[in-house]
Amino acid sequence: MSKTQTLAVGDDQEKLLNEALKHVEANAFEMKTCLDNTKLMDALKHASTMLSELRTSLLSPKSYYELFMAISDQLRHLEQYLLEEFEKGKKMSDLYELVQYAGNIIPRLYLLVTVGTVYIKANEGSRRDILRDLVEMCRGVQHPLRGLFLRNYLLQCTRNLLPDISSKEDEQGGTVHDSITFILHNYGEMNKLWVRMQHQGHTKEKERREKERLELRILVGTNLVRLSELESIDSSLYIKSVLPSVLEQVVKCRDSIAQEYLMECIIQVFPDEFHLQSLNPYLQTCAELQENVNVKSIVISLIDRLASYAYRTDSGIPSNIKLFDVFQQEIAIIVQSRPNMEVEDIIALNVSLVNLAIKCYSDHIDYVDKALGYCNELLTKKISGHIDHNGPPGRELQRLLKVPVDGYDEDVLTVLKLENYLSLVKMLNYEGRKSLSLYMLQAMLEKDASIESFTQAEALFSLLSPLISDQDDQPTEKCDPEDFEEEQSMMARLVHLFRASQPDQQYQILNGARKQFGTGGDTRIIYTLPPLIFATYRLITAYKTIKDEDQKWRAKCEKIFQFSLQTIMALCKLVPELSLRLYLQGALTADQIASETIAYEFLTQAFTLYEEDISDSREQVNCITLIMGTFERMKSLGEENHGALRSKCAVAASRLLKKPDQCRCVATCAHLFWSGKVTTDEGSFQEFHDGKRVMECLKKAGRIANQCMDKVVQSQLLVDLMNVYSLFREKGNTEVSSSFLKQLIDKIKSDIEELEDNDDKTLVDIHFQNTLQHLRHVKANEGSDS
Amino acid sequence: QTHTKMSFFGLGQGAEITIELSDVEKRRKVDVKNEEGKKEKLLLYLDGETVAGSVSINLKGRKLEHHGIRVEFVGQIEMFYDRGNHHDFLSLVRQLSPPGELTQFTKFPFEFLNVDKPYETYTGTNVRLRYFVRVVIVRRISDLVKEHDIAVHTLSSYPDLINSLKMEVGIEDCLHIEFEYNKSKYHLRDVVVGKIYFLLVRIKIKHMEIAIIRKETTGTPPNVYTENEQVAKYEIMDGAPVRGESIPIRLFLAGYELTPSMKDINKKFSCRYYLNLVLVDEEDRRYFKQQEIVLWRKGDLRVGRKPVAK
Repeated sequence: MSKTQTLAVGDDQEKLLNEALKHVEANAFEMKTCLDNTKLMDALKHASTMLSELRTSLLSPKSYYELFMAISDQLRHLEQYLLEEFEKGKKMSDLYELVQYAGNIIPRLYLLVTVGTVYIKANEGSRRDILRDLVEMCRGVQHPLRGLFLRNYLLQCTRNLLPDISSKEDEQGGTVHDSITFILHNYGEMNKLWVRMQHQGHTKEKERREKERLELRILVGTNLVRLSELESIDSSLYIKSVLPSVLEQVVKCRDSIAQEYLMECIIQVFPDEFHLQSLNPYLQTCAELQENVNVKSIVISLIDRLASYAYRTDSGIPSNIKLFDVFQQEIAIIVQSRPNMEVEDIIALNVSLVNLAIKCYSDHIDYVDKALGYCNELLTKKISGHIDHNGPPGRELQRLLKVPVDGYDEDVLTVLKLENYLSLVKMLNYEGRKSLSLYMLQAMLEKDASIESFTQAEALFSLLSPLISDQDDQPTEKCDPEDFEEEQSMMARLVHLFRASQPDQQYQILNGARKQFGTGGDTRIIYTLPPLIFATYRLITAYKTIKDEDQKWRAKCEKIFQFSLQTIMALCKLVPELSLRLYLQGALTADQIASETIAYEFLTQAFTLYEEDISDSREQVNCITLIMGTFERMKSLGEENHGALRSKCAVAASRLLKKPDQCRCVATCAHLFWSGKVTTDEGSFQEFHDGKRVMECLKKAGRIANQCMDKVVQSQLLVDLMNVYSLFREKGNTEVSSSFLKQLIDKIKSDIEELEDNDDKTLVDIHFQNTLQHLRHVKANEGSDS
Repeated sequence: QTHTKMSFFGLGQGAEITIELSDVEKRRKVDVKNEEGKKEKLLLYLDGETVAGSVSINLKGRKLEHHGIRVEFVGQIEMFYDRGNHHDFLSLVRQLSPPGELTQFTKFPFEFLNVDKPYETYTGTNVRLRYFVRVVIVRRISDLVKEHDIAVHTLSSYPDLINSLKMEVGIEDCLHIEFEYNKSKYHLRDVVVGKIYFLLVRIKIKHMEIAIIRKETTGTPPNVYTENEQVAKYEIMDGAPVRGESIPIRLFLAGYELTPSMKDINKKFSCRYYLNLVLVDEEDRRYFKQQEIVLWRKGDLRVGRKPVAK
């Protein structure tokens, strides 16, 4: 051999390859010509010359592969010809000997394999012996690249010729055992060659070598694929005769690239049923792999595969296989055998384990808890202080903790039953805990998960504490206000998930929530308390529906109102207007259960708040309107209370700052004297229908309107009043006379005429005309009715 | 059929001698290299077989005077560096005719009954061993001579007892191998089967081959000539093995031009065979180990075969 061992690079590669391909083509042509002229000897000589191209040491694996493909294509012609020759009666045994005279080993062995294939097809000799001979003779090629490709050619040629029967009847033809021996032998040799590549050449080319090795791994893996294609291999044969040798080779080669690839390959090519039966040997092997092998990803891919298998199949995991236990024990052993294993890798293993437990053993919460407990112990030992959420262990830990949240899809609150969950969460730093809390919260909101007991709520509050209140290890700088708002709004939505079936329990939950939320500080309670107050009102309604069953319901309601009042009080200074609305809502709720004292209390609280804390004139208008609207609808107040409040309203309305506001509010106040309701001793109520008082109010409003300096506004207010008059007239207030109305209409008409021509005037005029039309319409109807 | 051989000095009195061996049709022919190194097809005889035939003399002129006609069967060893000096280890003579005169075409039958032919026909680098039938018409000035070569194979049968050859060789701290050939004696159509175990490899081996070497020794001391000829070269390993590898050897002998091993043939020459195991490293240094094997010809002969691309 005159060729040197150094590999050409770049353009040279291409040139060399093209040259080699040219030679191949030329010799292949000669070979085929000779075959056409039935000159077998000459054809073999040309084939041999062509095959000599594969003796090169200059090509990179990629180029060598191309050359190999071109040549193996050509060899198919030869094989085809030989098959025809055999059919014509040529003895293959002679030919099998003949090709062995080739002086160079590479061409000789390629020819031997080609003829051997035909020899087997000819059924002339013992298939088993031929296979054995071929695989044995290939030992002569110890050069990694050339050896790998030669053996690949052997695999390729024998692909459909491997005996695949389990019975012993046909000794000559061989059984599946012979095929197993054959492939395992070839696999062992190929792996050795592949591993050997790592130790060739200069150390500084290590990276390139590893890349090349990765390109070639499929050649080794093909052996395993062939094994998996043998249909006569059942799981017991696999465990007895296939797996041990495969694993032995993996361990023995002591090469991390090979170990990683082959272990992965085993998982991928063999069926899940086999894996289920061979977990122990497989996982034990994992513990024996090289220090730098990524055992984590191997085990994970096995677990994930089995988990999805169990999920897929109806039967699930056979009951005799303690899948979870086996994995847990073996993982513990693997971890023990690798003292340098990264914490995050160990957690990652448990991520898969937890996933498996959830998917395959949904009723075994203890499994998940066991895995979490294991991590808990591990982390306590290995890490002191909080775990950084952005570091590798922190990220894995978060992943681990999210698995149950995602996994208990339908019942996300199962997470709360996991004893070790919270303590693991607490190991994370503030950001980690918070993001996990949010994740949990979001999941609950999405799934609309009902919280039905106080214990659940308690557990949840512990879990969500970073959202509920400031934490000791919280960073000093404020978080983004938008984020904060979003997060607290989610907390607010959480309140709506409190849904105990028993009102007593619901109260317990709300009470608990109140205590927790109370610790959140001013910035949080404005989000979290309002929904809680609404929840108390809903609870009151709930008690009302069961009042026949619960004797003490009223007492309980009073207690709840106390609770609501106090809660609103916490908000008064922070969000007065909102608090006022909450009081009013409370008043309405109390009204529904006919609790006059409480309703009155809520209303007076609202008034107090109005007087003390609402200073903006626009807000005042809104609030007083709200108060009057609420008051108007209430029906549980006795005359005494009602009267006090009525006059209070009237005074408040007339004390507003702006005349137009005074005018409108006083007009609104008129309703209290018409449709306001007063309860009687018998428990029933009746509306006032005090026409005179209504007129007084409206007239007062009219006077205020007249005091307006701005003529446009004045006209507008009068048109508005005219509408109110009309309304009361329709409601049957006889105090509103036609002549009075006529007078008002004339006044408005002349006022409008005096206005300057502009858009405002047009608008007022249109309103006025519409109102007139309405009046005419009503009148026409009255006429037809009578 | 042999062609005419004219005598220079027998002008006008020449004769064409034809030697015809019996059973030409039935007897096997084999290739034998002649003096010029060209292959000739010769009839094959075995030890103890009768060599018989007839001699035909076709006159060129009207008559032929002679001092007697004889036929000889000769076994001869000829050294190429000493052409004139032949050594006949076998010489049998039959008188075909007493001195007299031939006037017409005459045919004489002859027979050498059950002749011992102790050695095998051989054409080597420096020496040739041949058997031939020679007809001599003795004349006054120059004899008319005609020779006809035959081929001889010596058959032997070795006991089935097989002694394998096994040996550990190496260079200290550098290379340590153990080789094993299945036999020490092979017949000419045998197969050498063996294995090389690598016990220690600290050199970068490029490839390994096995060669068959013929060692021909001629002459007697102190004038001994030794010729080494590589009869076959066969690559058995490509690339560098590591410790623990074992490499198979399978070498079919039938395709090569081999003879049985010959030892001290008539004290004139020997021809021995060696298997030479050669390892070549990346710097093209060669490490080798020669091991003699005995070749023998087995009685049961089959049709020959040709090797493929060598």
